[in-house]
Amino acid sequence: MLLRCRIPLAHFDLDVDVAFDARVASIFGPSGSGKTTLLDAIAGLRDITAGEIEIDGSTLFSSARGIDRPPRERGIGYVPQEGALFPHLSVRKNILFGAGRSADISRLKGISVEHVLSVLEIGSLLDRAVKKLSGGEVQRVALARAILSQPRLLLLDEPLASLDIGLKEKILPYLARVRDEFRIPMIYVTHNLTEVLTLADWVLMIRQGRLVTQGVPKEALRSMHAIMQLPEDQFENVFAVTFVESDPEAGRTKVRLQAGQELFIPYLPRPGSDTIQIRISADDILVAIKRPEGISAGNVLPGTVRRIDAIDGQAIVTVAAGDEFYARLTASAVKRLGLVEKAPVFLIMKTRSFRSL
Amino acid sequence: MIFSLETWHITLFSLAVGLTSTLVILPFGIALAWIFARKEWPFKSVIETLVLLPLVMPPVSTGLILLKIFGRRNPVGQWLYERGVEIVFNWKGVLMAMAVMSFPLLVRSVRTSFTEVNPRFEQIAATLGASPLRIFFVITIPLAYKGIIAGALLAFSRALGEFGATILLAGNIPGKTQTLSLAIYSFVQLGKDSDAYTLLGITVALAFLFVWCSEWLLRSAKKA
Repeated sequence: MLLRCRIPLAHFDLDVDVAFDARVASIFGPSGSGKTTLLDAIAGLRDITAGEIEIDGSTLFSSARGIDRPPRERGIGYVPQEGALFPHLSVRKNILFGAGRSADISRLKGISVEHVLSVLEIGSLLDRAVKKLSGGEVQRVALARAILSQPRLLLLDEPLASLDIGLKEKILPYLARVRDEFRIPMIYVTHNLTEVLTLADWVLMIRQGRLVTQGVPKEALRSMHAIMQLPEDQFENVFAVTFVESDPEAGRTKVRLQAGQELFIPYLPRPGSDTIQIRISADDILVAIKRPEGISAGNVLPGTVRRIDAIDGQAIVTVAAGDEFYARLTASAVKRLGLVEKAPVFLIMKTRSFRSL
Repeated sequence: MIFSLETWHITLFSLAVGLTSTLVILPFGIALAWIFARKEWPFKSVIETLVLLPLVMPPVSTGLILLKIFGRRNPVGQWLYERGVEIVFNWKGVLMAMAVMSFPLLVRSVRTSFTEVNPRFEQIAATLGASPLRIFFVITIPLAYKGIIAGALLAFSRALGEFGATILLAGNIPGKTQTLSLAIYSFVQLGKDSDAYTLLGITVALAFLFVWCSEWLLRSAKKA
């Protein structure tokens, strides 16, 4: 996908010129960095004085060539932060509002109403009034409405931002299912790293309207630029793992990393699909230079320090232990342990520090 | 209090012309209110002020302007007369006076109700492929309908109370152009006090009903 635009804003110019090939590209950055503006511009909802917006070679806007296709001809599905369901229409009418539009059928065949309803599990809500929906239901209905308009691109503007943490964890898997079930490229705006790592296969970081860095999430986010923008609680490791076995008595489930290492996570019943995503905060990983004994933590993985990024008294230690793990330590801990690149270490992770999606 | 045939006639005539006037101005009022609420252009406030002018101008002045426009000796009036349409001194004059005087009130309250519709809904409807016409009728109007009805009720009440412009344009001809307001004036002049009080009662009751309904609608629209 080719996305190129220049949009003059009040305090800075939004200037993005990128090419990427991704199912889900995440736009990641702090609030006020121009993320929503960018989505509005792509969808054609904001007047732009100069610039160009091009997606997959088709020009949506060009001040130089005098092109400005109206929103309804752009074929772009938009799920705004608040959902923006039409309050006077039923859930059914909301969902079917854009379903009549002719679209690029070759690429989208196979999207049926039933399929969307079952993927998002909203079949039972159809006759409900919009005002009677919960926050999570609103987001799923808004998503269904956008998908059924058969867009060539789906824009999601912080769809989870207004939900509380418990609900976020419930909705995130739905987004992953939408990504896997329907072949619609998505641009996903967020300032939450977990969402980026869980959903996106490409990330664009913007700050003050400018592209700071882009790439595969794990690699792009390793840069200090990225890390220093993160709120304290948001630096997380996310892994796709294979389910091995569950033991309710022991209260734990065994999973396997792609590289073969096995980990224990809190008990969960056998999931529908063998591949699940787990995560652990970078602050919940302990680093030891000798194999510890007599501790309660269920996971001790040997590994090698790959790199250490230190800034402002903090250090992100990247450890290769099959997969790559990030541990956030104080500068003093790094010094005490004498950690350097290529040093052999052990990662200690409590079973209960892992969370699954 | 006795409802004579005359009072019945006057009341029904006023209601009928008032209702027609409201129905005639409704589509234009809605269209103009939408343009005022959603579009921007240079000197927009000048146009808005012109439209609102009859709201504050002495109704007699407005009536005089209308008389100058539609009188048979003036180009517009003459042109209409040659085509068999005469506005002055008949029920069409009453209709015209009511329409012109109540139009600004309608535009103003409908504009407010359009402004209160979140444009985000219209924008999202556009991304879903809806045409501007479909957005207007399926999203904007249904979300603003309470304010529109309230505005229409206000315009209707204003039409019924119209006096100054009507008397200049249509005269005060019993059985032909005499409305509730004009009749009250005549009855008081002629000393027919009891008839005047009957009509007074009717106007108070109608005005109360309309304002109450319109306020209730506006309040429930705010709550929604």
